[in-house]
Amino acid sequence: MPVVELSYSRLRRLVGGSSKKQIADLLPFLGLDVESEDGDLVRVEYSPNRPDYSTDFGIALGMQGLLGIKTGAVRLRVRRSERFHISVKPGVSRIRPFVTGVAAKNGRIDDKTIRQLMAMQEDLHFGLGRRRERSSIGIHDLDKMTFPLTYSTTGRDHRFVPLNSEKELSISQILESTGIGEKYGHILADSPKMPVITDSKNEIISFPPIINAAVTAMTVKTKNLFVEVTGIDRGDAENMLSVVAVILQSAGFTLEQVKISGSKNSTPKLGSREMRLDPALVNQVLGLNLSSSKIISCLKKSRLDASPKGGGSILCVIPPHRFDLFGPMDLVEEAALGYGIQNLKPVLSPSQAIGQASPVSRNLRYLSQVMVGLGYLEVLNSSLTSKRVLYNMTNRGEASKTISVREPKSQEHAILRDSILPGLLENLSRNIHEPYPQKIFETGSVFLEGSSIKEGINLSGVSAHQDANFTETKSVLQSGLKIGFGLKVQTRATTHPAFEGGRCASVLADGRSIGVVGEISSRTVEGYKIRVPVAGFEISLSDSILKPA
Amino acid sequence: MSQVFHDIEKKIISSLRENPKQSPESLEGSTGLSPDQIRRGIEWLKLKDLAIVNESKASLIRLGGNGLESIEKGLPERRLLDSLKDGPRRLSDLQRQLGSAFGPAMGLARRNSWVRTESDTVSLSNEPAEIPAERIIRQIGRQKIPKEMVSPSELAILLRRPDFVIEETVKTKVISLSDSAGSLEISDSSGAIDVEAGVPRVFVARTHPLKDTIDEVREIFVTLGFSEIIGGMTQPSFWNFDALFTPQDHPARELQDTFYLDGILAKKIAMPEQIRRVSDSHRRNWRYRWDINEARRMVLRTHTTCVTIRHLAETRPDEARVFSLGRVFRNEKVSYKHLVEFNQIEGVVVGKGVTLRDLMGIQREFYKRIGIARIKFWPTFFPYTEPSLQTMVYNERLGSWVELFGMGIFRPEVTRSLGITKPVLAWGGGIERIAMLKYGLDDVREFYNNNLSWLRGVHQDAGS
Repeated sequence: MPVVELSYSRLRRLVGGSSKKQIADLLPFLGLDVESEDGDLVRVEYSPNRPDYSTDFGIALGMQGLLGIKTGAVRLRVRRSERFHISVKPGVSRIRPFVTGVAAKNGRIDDKTIRQLMAMQEDLHFGLGRRRERSSIGIHDLDKMTFPLTYSTTGRDHRFVPLNSEKELSISQILESTGIGEKYGHILADSPKMPVITDSKNEIISFPPIINAAVTAMTVKTKNLFVEVTGIDRGDAENMLSVVAVILQSAGFTLEQVKISGSKNSTPKLGSREMRLDPALVNQVLGLNLSSSKIISCLKKSRLDASPKGGGSILCVIPPHRFDLFGPMDLVEEAALGYGIQNLKPVLSPSQAIGQASPVSRNLRYLSQVMVGLGYLEVLNSSLTSKRVLYNMTNRGEASKTISVREPKSQEHAILRDSILPGLLENLSRNIHEPYPQKIFETGSVFLEGSSIKEGINLSGVSAHQDANFTETKSVLQSGLKIGFGLKVQTRATTHPAFEGGRCASVLADGRSIGVVGEISSRTVEGYKIRVPVAGFEISLSDSILKPA
Repeated sequence: MSQVFHDIEKKIISSLRENPKQSPESLEGSTGLSPDQIRRGIEWLKLKDLAIVNESKASLIRLGGNGLESIEKGLPERRLLDSLKDGPRRLSDLQRQLGSAFGPAMGLARRNSWVRTESDTVSLSNEPAEIPAERIIRQIGRQKIPKEMVSPSELAILLRRPDFVIEETVKTKVISLSDSAGSLEISDSSGAIDVEAGVPRVFVARTHPLKDTIDEVREIFVTLGFSEIIGGMTQPSFWNFDALFTPQDHPARELQDTFYLDGILAKKIAMPEQIRRVSDSHRRNWRYRWDINEARRMVLRTHTTCVTIRHLAETRPDEARVFSLGRVFRNEKVSYKHLVEFNQIEGVVVGKGVTLRDLMGIQREFYKRIGIARIKFWPTFFPYTEPSLQTMVYNERLGSWVELFGMGIFRPEVTRSLGITKPVLAWGGGIERIAMLKYGLDDVREFYNNNLSWLRGVHQDAGS
């Protein structure tokens, strides 16, 4: 979940007429989870479906609604204008086909505002923009460029001074020798032509989705902004633009239209949508009995416009930055938020349903009781383990097909276990200073690859003490399965790399092998630095007591 | 006051009542107990303030090898004098008879003028009635006696001669009864033992504490009328993500959050109609090119919701109360609050008139039964539910609110594509968090460390 850093004093000013406590208490009801707090600063997590909450400007709009200070939709006021124009050349259609933009004028930006805007840009790039792949934003100083602009392609040897650089670099150099180029260059793949936005003097102002030019960088002296969004889907790009637009308008800028033409591109509308809502759906889903007018006032508190429409339905007007609202059910949630989740009272409706645990759970629970009765303590290990634990330490050869996961963060959790016993031996090795005897068991899933992955459930137990031996362990296994499940097992001599030769047997149920029992080889025991003999067993429960009838 | 004593204690007490000051050795003799039993008995009585043990050091002397020989044969000088009683003898004869003792004996006899020597003949001149060393050797005899009992000058003579006397320092114990033991009545109800004494520790075999919590959670939902369903831990992405309206380029689906099984694609993922409708919904709502191969990639399930949604898609019930419970996986860095593998419960209610308030009611009831009284609900976001809430529960120990189960109503985009026509209330969350509250843990890794001292020692409700 993305995180935004807020200042209570700044928020109080933006919201207008609210105390610090009111604001703090309200944060969760906007879906914001407080992550940490330090005096005036508070860091909150916001939902990725609300990119407008990536700045305090957007959060302030939401708070004004819930507090009743300002309700209804925030309407974007974009002044029509002919002054700003981007013409799109066909070359970009193969690499990054769409561009859109808006001008924002006569604002004042201080350090804190710049920081909020930069953080917003980062978050939009990461979430909505899918790490800039689907869409990306450039924010520029409008007065440092001359219109009209052109969105076209250029060669990799084209040079300009990128943001945060002192000197001119070629596009190839940017892609190969700057951090940002290395991180996002893959989006442009191997295309020989690179997308750029140039101004009327043919100066590059942006190289999307990688970096802006230094010449148009915004500073605290900047009064007028130019925002461009490029991407592979026009709807996505306009959605992202609408978020930036509503934030800049809230920050005090006046929005002015940027005309766009050429190669399937057009001027963004940034218009509202309409959606009908049946009040009965709201009441049915929330379990309430609210009047239409009450629902309308709830929707307005969620910063939507709503009015009664013929046939008892409600007409909602949704501002463009609320593209997270897909259908009426989303409006129900907006009504619930406006109503206040804290005002919804839980109710326990009677039910005639009769529940039951699954037979597998019941049997496993019973088996645990039997093992505990036999003096074994239950342990739990991960199904994801390492080659060291699963194969090397027990001298087992690697299975022909090991099931591994891609890019695990730790090598301790890199492959799925096909056996439980190695984990138990690992547990004993970590407890060599604890009093003996140590008898432990585990039931759990194991994974085998065949034509598809076969998930099974195994039982394994080990006993470690001065006199641990084959006979003791076979007794435990045999008695446990007989008393617990009426299952008779026999043993037949076999060999197993983890077990001592001549002290190891297959476990047979109805003549079929379901596992192995024996004394763990001294080589394995010593490898684990365990100083007492260990005997143990592992059987497949899926092939025995859990076998579907 | 009558008190119960061990047999050993009884014997020691009665022996001391007859003979108030005794050494451990004498108690052995009087009670017939072994040295070890006496030692233990004295310790027990001391702990009960019934016996007093006075320790002191003493110097004892006993005869050495030469001294003991002299008891039988007489001192060498006495043997020399005895052999001269029948008249003078030749030096060489005497030498042969007395062997190595001859030299010192002859020297002593000459110095004291007991004998005379003329050329090679020795004759008696003045036989003494008693030689000084003879008296002290007789006094010591074959015993150990305190040094103070013998004359210091006589002892000094003996000490000058090799291996005649050995001096040693020993600690001695004198045991006596304390004053409080005097008034004591000894109960002789037979077979009674000291029930207040400490005993050795034994370790209880038990089920794992986390398993106990899992079973408790399961039982609560069964009691609330829910039936358990089970499903695989390995799932095609289709059921883990696509069917739950999570777009294929959603950050949660990236390798760094989700475990993909290396090189394994599902052959059959769902019915063709289900695939068609799910992919349509993605194209229409998320506007991207949905790829069936992405949906085939096998993952370790990131939640148990994939099990319930599969079940609902298969059965398409008008009414149902089911839950699934089991391990789920996240490609996380393991820390005190994150595991790569943990347990989750996920439940649903399907029904014609079910509401968000019903969902909240089920949650409140569950928490009440598991012992959590203070809860509240906050809005949140999940890709597949709308509206969505989360429960916050109050951790009394930490004095703070902790996030527990998430919940919501399945989005129409989810249910419609799978032919589910009635509203579905869904909730779910990690069980380790509940168990941490129960056992008072701050580090979730403890559940999987399998540290025997913790497993053998932790008790139910350790957290309250």
